Amino acid sequence: MASQSAHLADRKGTGPVATAALRLGFLALILLAWALAARHAPPGLFASPVAVAKAGIGLASSGKLWPALAASLQVYLVGTGLAVMFGGALGIAMGIWPALGRTLDIYVNALAATPRVAFIPLIIVLLGLGLEAKVLIVFLGAVMPIVLNAHAGVQAADPDLLEMAASTGASRGRILWHVILPGAVPFLITGIRIGSTIGLINTIVAELYTAISGLGGLLAVYGSRFQMAEYLAVVIVLALIGVGMTEALRLVSQRLMRWRDV
Amino acid sequence: MALNATDRLELSGVSLTLGDQPVLQDLTLATGRGEVLVVLGPSGCGKTSLLRLMAGLVEPGSGTVALNDAPPVPGHGIAMMFQSYRLLPWKTVAANVAFALPDLPRAQREDRVSEVLHLVGLERFADRYPAALSGGMRQRVALARALAPRPDFLLMDEPFAALDAQARELMQAELLRLVGASGGPGVVFVTHSVDEALVLGDRIILLSPRPGRIITDMAVPFARRPDPHDHPDYPALRRTLWERLRQAVLTDPASDFYRPG
Ligand SMILES: Nc1ncnc2c1ncn2[C@@H]1O[C@H](COP(=O)(O)OP(=O)(O)OP(=O)(O)O)[C@@H](O)[C@H]1O
Ligand SMILES: [Mg+2]
Repeated sequence: MASQSAHLADRKGTGPVATAALRLGFLALILLAWALAARHAPPGLFASPVAVAKAGIGLASSGKLWPALAASLQVYLVGTGLAVMFGGALGIAMGIWPALGRTLDIYVNALAATPRVAFIPLIIVLLGLGLEAKVLIVFLGAVMPIVLNAHAGVQAADPDLLEMAASTGASRGRILWHVILPGAVPFLITGIRIGSTIGLINTIVAELYTAISGLGGLLAVYGSRFQMAEYLAVVIVLALIGVGMTEALRLVSQRLMRWRDV
Repeated sequence: MALNATDRLELSGVSLTLGDQPVLQDLTLATGRGEVLVVLGPSGCGKTSLLRLMAGLVEPGSGTVALNDAPPVPGHGIAMMFQSYRLLPWKTVAANVAFALPDLPRAQREDRVSEVLHLVGLERFADRYPAALSGGMRQRVALARALAPRPDFLLMDEPFAALDAQARELMQAELLRLVGASGGPGVVFVTHSVDEALVLGDRIILLSPRPGRIITDMAVPFARRPDPHDHPDYPALRRTLWERLRQAVLTDPASDFYRPG
């Protein structure tokens, strides 16, 4: 409907095509600045966009990139996925049972404020250097913001809607599913977005601090040999993973929050 | 209006204290299916609390509340409607109405939803989300949701107060049409407005400032007439009610308008 698309365009300021064009323009600016910086930097410290692109193609075609990417994605997605399930469930439970929330709140906050790198030696002692240790490092990084936001989302449930639901005789489960959880979606998405960012960082940290592997392993290798083109190509792959995750979450939240744009 | 002997909502000697505040004091009253009972009273006198008691959402400190001789259970024979529409924004109009029908099998539920949406004239909007509707339409969805489970009693807490004057008058007429139909529920209708009380009520009770007590309980002589405003008794009755309400407020030390002496 004409009136509806006009109203949507108003809210977002620009249409999707214009947004894409602006983004591409900005990318061109970055590449230009990068190319200029690379030309003036001392050789060996930096690489030009063209060199990085060539290095990236080389990594992909030589077959070095894919096993590393697969290993990193496995650690990242398993760790973050477990954090979403466990953190979401714990945060929601803390919101539903206020006594549990009050009891655990202080510990969750304390743990969230502790640099998780501090746990790595302990984790290595407990789980060794393999996949389990890496997944746990990612999990610990990603889980706290998810718990905290899920908890906040349940606590933010609208008391007017809760009373309405109670007045219809709705069961606790029905109230949870139809009233509390849909209202908590924006909080859950925010928690997952923050958690998955920390999860990606911790993936690299885990790959550097435990058995060297994955994209973190490639960074260690190329960094120590000053192969800046390859090194930057890996950095760009990491950035692309981050962008992919953010976009996926944006799509999910758009789908879940359709009711806002009517 | 004749009261149907089968469905009765009764309070006897009901008092309610919230925190350390006495909110309602020694209320005794009964209403039945078919009656529109209007509850009028100053701000904070306990009108909403009275509806919560009737709905079974809170228990009285003393006295008894009974729907057909048993304590009321939320969702069983009683439906509520609120000033803010309280629609679930993430559900369509049809799903919001269906929310009040958890126990019906799917096919019956869908039939009942379209039936009540038709009743309030919103069947064309069944698939819309509340954000796309006007205030008057949202309140009609809330009315449809309340009517869907065929309650014996409909408890309405200033339901039209947020609407503009036109929408309010149209909704008042619509409400009278719906509850006037045979098999319509009994209605307990809370309002601040003396005019709304006189237009809608078969009977009006006036509550004192907190703790709320019944200070007036009267039948409306021109109830359900097409143009109540034009009835010869209307101005005198309006003046009487308004004067009592005013006195109650002016002599209440907790009120902003209190005048000692
Ligand atoms: N949980 C509570 N604890 C203590 N006092 C409360 C509580 N809930 C309500 N009250 C008080 O009880 C009184 C009655 O509240 P209630 O909402 O029933 O009044 P009301 O007549 O509906 O008011 P309004 O005209 O503003 O809608 C108010 O003075 C309110 O401050
Ligand atoms: Mg009230």
